[in-house]
Amino acid sequence: MVELDHQFTTGKDTAYNWEAIRDLDRLIPCVQGGKVIERTSPTEAKAEIKVKMGAMSMTFAGTVEVAEQDEAAHTALLKIKSREVGGQGHANADVTFGLSDGGGSVHTAAKITGKAASMGEGVVASVLDGLIKDFTQRLGSI
Amino acid sequence: MAIAPGTYTLGPADGTLTVRTGKGGAAAKAGHNLVIEVTAWQATLDLADPASAAVALTADARSLRVRSGSGGISPLGDEEKASIAQSIDEDVLKGGAIAFRSRAVDVAPDGTLRVTGDLDLLGRTRPVTFDLAAGDDGRLTGSTRFKQTDWGIKPYSALFGTLKVADEVEVGIDARLPPG
Repeated sequence: MVELDHQFTTGKDTAYNWEAIRDLDRLIPCVQGGKVIERTSPTEAKAEIKVKMGAMSMTFAGTVEVAEQDEAAHTALLKIKSREVGGQGHANADVTFGLSDGGGSVHTAAKITGKAASMGEGVVASVLDGLIKDFTQRLGSI
Repeated sequence: MAIAPGTYTLGPADGTLTVRTGKGGAAAKAGHNLVIEVTAWQATLDLADPASAAVALTADARSLRVRSGSGGISPLGDEEKASIAQSIDEDVLKGGAIAFRSRAVDVAPDGTLRVTGDLDLLGRTRPVTFDLAAGDDGRLTGSTRFKQTDWGIKPYSALFGTLKVADEVEVGIDARLPPG
């Protein structure tokens, strides 16, 4: 299990941020290589992410669900469950957002198995850190 | 062996011009050390008069092809090799000019040529020095290392910057001298 914490700024007010992070159609494309395949409910989507590893790439497909949301506290838990397309790996994560005026925080607890995990936990943490930083930088423009 | 005086023109039919790259970053394990062949190039060795010996080379930046990769998590297939060539064309060399012209060529007693000159890479010119050794069988070999950033090239990176091509690359030639 890899756990990471990040802070981010959007320059938008709390109400805007709260709507944005629960709108999976807007949120998922903020992840580099991520796209919505199908909206299955207001709080759930089928999605996939393609991660380029130099010349090679891996695609993970699965579900993203807004599993818990506390509007008073402006916190939400997103659960991501996916498996590697054409491979044996999995990438699952619990992502907790805490929003405030102008930005917020995101706590990520991820479990990666398979070929990607064979690079070692330190490498997985570095790549996830890069992915989440890139993701949070895009949140300001959604 | 000293090379017989004369003017020699070499190209892919006479040997190989290769670029070898390494890898770095936290996710270096996922990447490959690459051997890339330049498939369109021309070199001239003007050794008619040792006092005014000169070496020149031009290469087509769009002719680089990945021949092999080692050290990755999984082997490089044809699709990945083609993808790397595309990245070189679109993100790294972008079809820019590649030309080397010597400023001085010193011939050692054993025939080795110590070549000093200017490498023009994508519009920026910097000095490089390398040795060209000639074997008894007419084989000509030489290599040099340089940093991409010295020519303003940003080394290719992926995986959010955790997988990078090493800044230093090695360029080598292994050819057979044609009749002068």
